[in-house]
Amino acid sequence: MNRDTNLPLTETTYYVLLSLFEAAHGYAILQKVEALSDGQVRLAAGTLYGALENLEKQKMICQIPGDDPRRKIYGITEKGRTILTLDYERMRSLINTTDKYLLKAGDQYEEV
Amino acid sequence: MKKCKLFFNFEKEEKWLQDMASDGWRLQSVMFTYTFKKSKPESAVIRTDFHVFSSRSRYLDYLTLFEDCGWKHIAGYKSCGMQYFIRTRDDASEDIFSDAASKAGKYKRAADMWLSLFATYLAFSATLFLNSSVGMRWSYVTNPRSAFFTPDIWSRTGAAFWKAFLIESPFAFFRIFSPVILFICVVLFGIFTVAFLLQYRKYKNKWTEQINTGNNS
Repeated sequence: MNRDTNLPLTETTYYVLLSLFEAAHGYAILQKVEALSDGQVRLAAGTLYGALENLEKQKMICQIPGDDPRRKIYGITEKGRTILTLDYERMRSLINTTDKYLLKAGDQYEEV
Repeated sequence: MKKCKLFFNFEKEEKWLQDMASDGWRLQSVMFTYTFKKSKPESAVIRTDFHVFSSRSRYLDYLTLFEDCGWKHIAGYKSCGMQYFIRTRDDASEDIFSDAASKAGKYKRAADMWLSLFATYLAFSATLFLNSSVGMRWSYVTNPRSAFFTPDIWSRTGAAFWKAFLIESPFAFFRIFSPVILFICVVLFGIFTVAFLLQYRKYKNKWTEQINTGNNS
C-alpha cells in the first residue's frame, strides 16, 4: 500500500488537527484538546507550539487573520483535512480487522 | 550580578538557574553572560525553550501562548534562540513539554542552528587561510615574532625598538589573535552541535520507547 509519509499521526498531532476544524488561537486549542480527549491529553505550551510550527511548515494548518494582535488564529487546511481523514480510515480499518479477527474466534473473544 | 557560564545541556542550565533563584538571585537577562538581580529567595520553576522567530508578530503569539499557560518570559530575544520562562501559576504544568518528542525537537532546533554557525565559520576560516592576499597564517600564532613586519625590528634596541613595536603591535596582535579566536569559535560551535545532537537522540529514543510500550505520558 502506498501510504502518505505523514502517517500515522501522533496523538498530539491528531488532536490538534481535529480541534482546528474550528479555527482557534493557541490557548483555546489546548483547552479544546483537553475537552475532546476527556482530560486524557493535556498539552504543555512548548509541545503545542512545536506541533503548530511543524503543522504549519507541512501546510496542514494555516494562519487566519484575526483581531487580536497578540494571539494568532490557526485553522486546518485542505491538506490537513485529507491527512486527518486518511489517518482516521487507517485506524478504522485497524479496528475492523481486529474485530473481524477476534469475533471469528467467537467465544474466545473475551479470553483474548 | 553577572555570571559567565557555558552549558551543553539545557536541563543542567535550568537546574542552575533554579538554584540561583533559591539563593535569592533572579535571572534578568542573558546576553553572552547571565545577569541576575538580588531578590528574595524563592523556589522557582524555570524552563527553557529554543526558537528563532522570523517576525515580531510570531514572537508575540508564542510569548502570549506561554503567558496564557502560566509561564512568564524572563529572558531571551526574538532572534537569539534561547528563551527563558518562569512558572507563575501553581496549576500550570511541571514542564513546558508534555512529551519526549517535543523535547527532542528543542534540541534538534538548537543543534541545527549551531551546525549552520559551525559550517559558516569553518568555510570563513578556510577562505581566510587559503587566500594568501588576506595573509592569515597559523605561523603567526606559533611564532608571534613573525607577526611583526617591520624589517629587523627584533635587532633594534631602545627608543627605536619601542617606537616600531608600539606602532605595529595593534596589527601584529590582530594577526596573532584572529586565527586563535576563529579556531576557538569553530571548535566551540562543533562541540555545541555534537552535544545537542546527542541530547536530541536521547529524547528521540526515549519517545520511540514510550510509543512501543504504549506509555506516552
